[in-house]
Amino acid sequence: MKIKFSGVSKVFKPDIVALKDVYLEIAKGEFVYIVGATGSGKSTLLRLITREVLPTRGTVMVGDVNLRRMRASDIPYYRRDVGLVAQDFKLIPHLTVYENVAFVMEAMSVPAKMVEYRATRVIEQVGLLRRRFMKPPQLSGGEQQRVAIARALANSPSLFVADEPTGNLDYRTSAEVMKILLSINAAGVTVIMTTHNQYIVDSYRQRVIELDAGRLVRDEVAGRYAPNDDV
Amino acid sequence: MTTFRYILRDTGRLLIRHWFLGILTLITAAVMMWILGLTALFSLNVQNLLQKLESELVVQAYLRRGSEVGAVADRIRAMDSVTSLRALSPEESLAKLQARMGSQAHALDLIGENPLSWNFEIRVRSAQDVPNLARTLMAMEEIEDVIYAGMVVDRVASISRVASRAAVLMFLLSIMVTSLVVYNTIHISLYSRREEIGIMFLVGATRSYISTPFVLEGTFLAFLGSVVAVLGITSAYLPGIRLLQNSLPFLSLVADRRTIGQFGILLVGFGATLGWVCSCIVVARFMSSTTKPL
Repeated sequence: MKIKFSGVSKVFKPDIVALKDVYLEIAKGEFVYIVGATGSGKSTLLRLITREVLPTRGTVMVGDVNLRRMRASDIPYYRRDVGLVAQDFKLIPHLTVYENVAFVMEAMSVPAKMVEYRATRVIEQVGLLRRRFMKPPQLSGGEQQRVAIARALANSPSLFVADEPTGNLDYRTSAEVMKILLSINAAGVTVIMTTHNQYIVDSYRQRVIELDAGRLVRDEVAGRYAPNDDV
Repeated sequence: MTTFRYILRDTGRLLIRHWFLGILTLITAAVMMWILGLTALFSLNVQNLLQKLESELVVQAYLRRGSEVGAVADRIRAMDSVTSLRALSPEESLAKLQARMGSQAHALDLIGENPLSWNFEIRVRSAQDVPNLARTLMAMEEIEDVIYAGMVVDRVASISRVASRAAVLMFLLSIMVTSLVVYNTIHISLYSRREEIGIMFLVGATRSYISTPFVLEGTFLAFLGSVVAVLGITSAYLPGIRLLQNSLPFLSLVADRRTIGQFGILLVGFGATLGWVCSCIVVARFMSSTTKPL
C-alpha cells in the first residue's frame, strides 16, 4: 500500500501546530522509521494514516484513497488492512491474550474455527503460545507489546503502523520486537514505526524520516538516528 | 450467523460484567413499568365507569304534534353522537309519568286529554356530545322541546376530561422515568467500556458490531423488567379487584383474565420497545462522539 502526504499540515485547537507542510511518499513494502523529539509530530503522522485525525490542510492518500474523503462506513474496512501497534499497547485488560487477538477477526465475522487457527498461529509467531490464556495485566511490558503485534497481524494487514513499539522495553526485548517487525516487512508488508531508540535505528538500518516541530527535516535511505552519528 | 453468535456472546458478557448495574436497572424498570401498568389499569377502569355512566345519560326530545315520527327518528339516528333512540308514544309517556307521580297520579285526570306528544329517549356516545346534540335538536322544526340533565352531563364530562388528563400525565411521567433509567444504564455501560470501544474502532470493528450488544442489553433489561412488573400486577390486581367487587358489586371493573392477559402482553411489548428505543438513542449519540476524527 503506497502512502503519499501532499502538503499536509495539522493544527490542533487552539493553535498547536503538530505538522507543517509535510510532503512524503512511502512505497509498498518499505520499512520506515519516523524519528524526532517529543512533540515533533511523529504520532500525529501515524494517526493521520490510521484516520484518527484529519489534516487541516493537504491530502493523505493511502493507495488510491484520499483519507479525508473516505466515507465513515468504509473506515472500519480500511482499518482492517492497517495493523496498529500503540505505545500503550491498547489491549483489553479483561480479555485473555487469545481473546484480544481473536476479537479483531470476530469483528470481521470470521468463522470460529478459522479464528482459532489464525489467532493461535499469530500468538505462536510472537512467542506467547504458552501465555495465551493469561490476561494483559499478568504480562510484562514486552509481552504485552507482542500481544499488540499479534493482534495487528491477525488480519494479515498490508500496512503495519507502530507507535514507539520499543518505547518501554529493555534492549533484549526491543531486539525481539524488531526481529518480529523485520520478519513482517520481509513478507511484503509496509512497516512504519516511530521511535526514540537510537540503538534500534542504527542497528537495523532502514529509511529514516526525521520531523522537527512538525516539519520534515530529513529523509534518508538506510539512515542513522541522527545524521552525524558515529555509532 | 457467525456475527450474530459473537454479538450474542458479547451481550451475555456485558450483562455478566455489569450484573449489579443490570439488577438495579431491572428493579427500577420493573417498578416503573409496574406503576405504568397500574396507572393504565386505573385509567382503563375509570374510563370503563365513565363510559357506563355516559351510556346511561338520556336526552329527551319532544316532537311537535303532527310531525312525522319515523322520518324525524331516522334523521336523529343518523347523527354521529347518537348511539340509540327509543320513540315513546303519548300513551306510553303518560303511563311513565303516572308511574313516576305515584299517589298523586290522579291529578293528571284533571287535565282531561293527554297533553304529551311523541318523544324520543336518545342515548349518546359521550357526555361531551350532549350539549351539541341538544342544540342541533332544538334547531329542528319538528322538535318542540329538549330536556337533559345539564349539570350531570357537565360533571361527567369534566370528570372524564380530568381523569383522562391525569392518566396521560402519569403515563408520560412513568415513560420518562423508565426511559431515563434505561438511558443512564446503557450510558454508564458504554462509558465504562469507552476505552475498549475506542480500541475496537481502531482495529476495524464496525459501528453496528460494537453497538448491537449494548442495544440488546438495554432491550433485554427493559423486557425483563416489564415481565416482572406484569407478574406483580397480575398477582396483586386480580385478587384486589375480586375483593372490591365483593364489597361494591355495582361497580363495573375490568376483571376478565383475557383482557388482563392482553394488557400484560402489551405492557411487555411496550417495555421492550422502550428499552430498545432508549438504547438505540444513547448508543448512537455515544458512537457519534467516539468516532469523530480530530
